[in-house]
Amino acid sequence: MRALLLTALTTALLTAAAAAPAADYVAQPESKLGFTATYQDEAFQGTFARFTPVIRFDPADLASSRFDVRIALASAGTANAERDEMLLGSEFFDAAGAPEARYVATRFRALGGNRFVAEGTLSLRGVNKPVPLTFTWTPGARPVLAGEASVSRLAFNVGTGDWTDTDLLPDAVKVTTRLVLEAKAQ
Amino acid sequence: MPIKNLADRWGGVSITLHWLTALMILGLVVVGFAMQELANSPTKIQVYGLHKSIGLTVLALTVLRLLWRLFAGVPQPAPGTPRWQQWASSATHGALYVILLAMPLSGWLYNSASGFPLKWFGLFALPRLSGYDADVKAFALGAHSTLFLALAAIVALHAAAALKHHYFDRDRTLVRMLPLIKPPAPAARDHETGA
Repeated sequence: MRALLLTALTTALLTAAAAAPAADYVAQPESKLGFTATYQDEAFQGTFARFTPVIRFDPADLASSRFDVRIALASAGTANAERDEMLLGSEFFDAAGAPEARYVATRFRALGGNRFVAEGTLSLRGVNKPVPLTFTWTPGARPVLAGEASVSRLAFNVGTGDWTDTDLLPDAVKVTTRLVLEAKAQ
Repeated sequence: MPIKNLADRWGGVSITLHWLTALMILGLVVVGFAMQELANSPTKIQVYGLHKSIGLTVLALTVLRLLWRLFAGVPQPAPGTPRWQQWASSATHGALYVILLAMPLSGWLYNSASGFPLKWFGLFALPRLSGYDADVKAFALGAHSTLFLALAAIVALHAAAALKHHYFDRDRTLVRMLPLIKPPAPAARDHETGA
């Protein structure tokens, strides 16, 4: 009987936590973070296998919402061993020099419906610059955040030396993410 | 120079295809070894692109050559060539054609399994022969290297046989594959017979 009561109480507390405004969420394993770049007019896709988003978001309380995403650069892959070696090297991500990229957003704007913009800052290779992330928020027991951003690779010194040639490798890289979220265990 | 092949000499199409292929293979070998030494850069990707494009051209020309051979026939072996040499010649030429097809195909497969796109001189894209696959990639690279060694050995044999025909047998086997050389005048034939 006591055990049952305890279970009921715990469930009630957890439910309350999930329903609380601007809840903290963590991403489930099916979440994705990737990018699309172009080389010599051929688009190629990349993914980050390891990234840790901590998402506090409430459409009704944007002021106390906050994104904090840590991205392990060494986990980047484009389904091409030679290209990946180059990507992790000093001319691109420099994963050995600065292993982590971080995206932090504390300011949000509603675009109407379930669409929002996070006015966040990306830190990559020691450069901090604003990168707005446009996303949709699908509420539910497991809310889904689907976002897209355009990142200027040259602003972050990704692709130095001969690789700065934007005829070969355009400056704009599209970053996409789909996070399946669950309330963080308190 | 006749366009089609005759019983005693090669025509212009076969001669052109033969020497164009020889020239491109020489280029492929030089570029193929040099490109591996380059540091990662857009230049390296361009040099690899050149090697891939020339290789694909060899593949296309070899298919054309085989079709032309089917249509235009081949000259007879030089008179007096022993049967074992005729057999050896057929085997060598057969092996050369197989390698001229298999080498570009193994390179194409290696490129596909490595996850790289493939464009012929930047003009049009070719389909992938495989998805990104480390095992296929290793197999294709192994095949490309082994085929190169086989090609080197067989080309050496091919050239040695041509020179042997020219300098030892003193027949027209080599000359009839050379461009801009007229068929021997009757007088020259008499001279050869006399010598």
